[in-house]
Amino acid sequence: MRGKFLKVAVAATATAMLATACGGGGDDSDDAGGGEAGGTLRVYATEPAFLLPSNANDEPSIYVIRQLYRGLVKYNAETSETEMDLAESIESDDKKLWTIKLKDGYTFDNGEPVNADSFIRSWNYAAYGPNAQNNAYFMKRIAGVDDVTAKDPDGDGPEEAPAPKAETMSGLKKVDDLTFTVELKAPFTGFPTTVGYSGFFPMAQACVDDIDACNETPIGNGPYKIDGEWEHEVEINLARSDTWKGEPGKPDAINYRIFADVDSGYAAFQAGELDVMYTLPPARFKDAKANYGDRLFEQPGDSFNYVGMPMYNENFQDKRIRQAFSLSIDRQSIVNAVFDGRYAPATGFVAPIFEGAREGVCTYCEKDLEKAKQLLAEAGGWKGGKLVLWANAGSGHEDWLQAVGDQVKAALGIDYELKVNLQFPEYLEKADNNQFTGPFRLGWGPDYPYLETYLSPLYTTGASSNNSTFSNTEFDNLIKQGDSADTIDEAITLYQQAEDILAEEMPVVPMFWRKEAAIYSENVDTFVWNQVAGADYGATSLK
Amino acid sequence: MGRYVIRRLLQFIPTVLGTMFLLHYMTSLAIQFSGNPVRALFGDRTPPPALLQAITDRLGYGDPCLEQKGNPCFGLFLDRVSGVFLHFDFGINMRRQEVTDLVANAIPFTLKLLVIAIVFEAVVGIAAGVWAGLRGGSFADNLVKISTVFVISVPIFVLGVVVREFIGVKFGNILRDQEWVPDVIAYGFFSPGFKPDYPFASLLIPGMVLGAVALATTARLTRTSIMENIRADYVRTARAKGLANKRVIGVHTLRNSLIPVITYLGVDIGSAMAGAVVTESIFNVPGIGRLVTNAARTGEAPVIIGVVTMLVLVILLVNLLVDLLYAVLDPRIRYE
Repeated sequence: MRGKFLKVAVAATATAMLATACGGGGDDSDDAGGGEAGGTLRVYATEPAFLLPSNANDEPSIYVIRQLYRGLVKYNAETSETEMDLAESIESDDKKLWTIKLKDGYTFDNGEPVNADSFIRSWNYAAYGPNAQNNAYFMKRIAGVDDVTAKDPDGDGPEEAPAPKAETMSGLKKVDDLTFTVELKAPFTGFPTTVGYSGFFPMAQACVDDIDACNETPIGNGPYKIDGEWEHEVEINLARSDTWKGEPGKPDAINYRIFADVDSGYAAFQAGELDVMYTLPPARFKDAKANYGDRLFEQPGDSFNYVGMPMYNENFQDKRIRQAFSLSIDRQSIVNAVFDGRYAPATGFVAPIFEGAREGVCTYCEKDLEKAKQLLAEAGGWKGGKLVLWANAGSGHEDWLQAVGDQVKAALGIDYELKVNLQFPEYLEKADNNQFTGPFRLGWGPDYPYLETYLSPLYTTGASSNNSTFSNTEFDNLIKQGDSADTIDEAITLYQQAEDILAEEMPVVPMFWRKEAAIYSENVDTFVWNQVAGADYGATSLK
Repeated sequence: MGRYVIRRLLQFIPTVLGTMFLLHYMTSLAIQFSGNPVRALFGDRTPPPALLQAITDRLGYGDPCLEQKGNPCFGLFLDRVSGVFLHFDFGINMRRQEVTDLVANAIPFTLKLLVIAIVFEAVVGIAAGVWAGLRGGSFADNLVKISTVFVISVPIFVLGVVVREFIGVKFGNILRDQEWVPDVIAYGFFSPGFKPDYPFASLLIPGMVLGAVALATTARLTRTSIMENIRADYVRTARAKGLANKRVIGVHTLRNSLIPVITYLGVDIGSAMAGAVVTESIFNVPGIGRLVTNAARTGEAPVIIGVVTMLVLVILLVNLLVDLLYAVLDPRIRYE
């Protein structure tokens, strides 16, 4: 009896296995065998956090959103200049009250028109405090933004935050269907460049009405629409949208394959399963360069790595100490030794690819031991004891920071220790609360392609990410004048003067710019990399 | 039998609650000591405090006890337990997705992978064990012994990466260049990872890698067990009374030899789930293992607690089943 039981069990499992095997195989008979029939661009992706313009502030999400949605302006792929996209014009006399006129005839995938309301709705939704949207941060310049977020009366305490004073920002006013005005808190000449960020893209009424559904199956207004649903952790398929009136996307469809780690993505690329990888596993960089030399795209990027100076600490208040610190570092040798050349040494505070960036602004960013020693001596020597160098744990910052420490020790004779055991959240809380006891590593990426993004959030007095607590009236004034300059060119001149002050004061020590590296397969005819937005899948054509 | 099962089921309750509390306490400590994970979402951009607070509350990290180092957060634990057992609400992750949805999406992949692994290790492992066990000291025996030692001594993350790079990429690329190889083999089976186009074929190799280490152990257990039982009195009796060799081996020897093997396979479902954490990451299978890995990396307490609690339940149930299977295999075992 029992013998039979086992036999039956085995037979049943075997049959089940066979059945599933056949089912699994049968589904795929119509597939072109992993080929590229029909012009499907298969790209590497990681799981997006959100597919809502108001909530997505991470790279993988924005890579999808930029194909699904379009905004007022777009950026030129090569020059990163701002070009009108859905906007007819964005104008202002005083740089404070902006009038935005939209082009007629654009619609969302569900047929709703892309009008003034769709932008006002989206921006208000993002800014409204109780919606807890990540991109609320980007609405900070618009007048009335403070009234739509409520202050918690007792910090983190048990008391519930009251409802905000207003539900919409007073600075957004509709004039007619295709015109609206935006009033800023303070003049800002660069406003038109900022609205190309995906957080400023429009949203349909149907989207805001059922925000969770819209996150899963976005209602876009761009050249592509979602094909099916967002298959979490597996893939996202986009198909060309027939409601899009602008220049159509090149591939018929885009297939985002979602990978948990970049190494397995690279293996899939090697096996011919992917057409584009917008990033590479650091350890495989040399391998990729050797194997895909002509299909490896490389260019200096815009993510800034710096060592901040805790100017709230008395030992770092003398600028000559900060200058000496910077002068004792040989950036190129660290790049070569630690990063295999995947970074470029920084010689200024603004990304080299940005309009208005100047090579060699930071005269203290070249190694000069004599001068370093002399400056330190003039400042009366180092009195801070052991120099503590801070970085967050687990992100590979230890190596280069140690190299920095060694170089400073060799040049200035200051002994150092590394403090690299804090997890990222705790580390950032330390940064927010000004609790670093020595130089700290941090980074910065631009919010929009306008050099102001590298200056005011980091160095104006009391700015949100001014972790050095740098405060300089002249700098603040120059930024303010730049913000309200008549033209972009005038503004850039003023911002450059502000950057000169940084180069003298050295509130942070610029270290490196990360280089972007992407690879594409033999199926790709022309690969397009947008200076601002990264790999542009819609513009990339297949053979 | 029925009373035994009920008693076992009752024992589940303290086990599950205990596990949940441990997980809850560990994740709370992690937040208390390493800071609010929500702050890390913003990276270098310092968010306005009101916004940070709104998002922290929304994601369920707003309880003030999470700021007091060492506080076991009993209030939060009670909320979680009542959420799970009274409302079937396991909370949300950082992306505001329900943990139950995440698990529902991931579990089919892990189940498929586990079935492949278990079937592979049971069928091949037992067959190899019997083959080697019946011919002690022969070439077959040595082959099984040496190859299993080899597999056991290679950690699964090494084996996985080697298989992916050499079989999936290099060997697979050769096959993909050949016209005559069917697509399901070249693009499916030999894909270097899970592929949505071939949801079953591309899981076979990851499943085999997952089952490989246990396969080696299964083979060795079966081999030893067979060698021991083949000399037992009852086998000699069976032979003496003139039974066919097939029946002696297949029914009498093998069935008794399988008891330790079944125990091992049952326990192994637990460790296969742990192995799936590694295998799924290497082969990009969107299953439970990858879910837990990512959650642990970003410190998403509700996901870790929810998923691991479910895993504990699965392992408890499987162990109960294994214990009940003993009675089927060995008539001397009776549960009263």
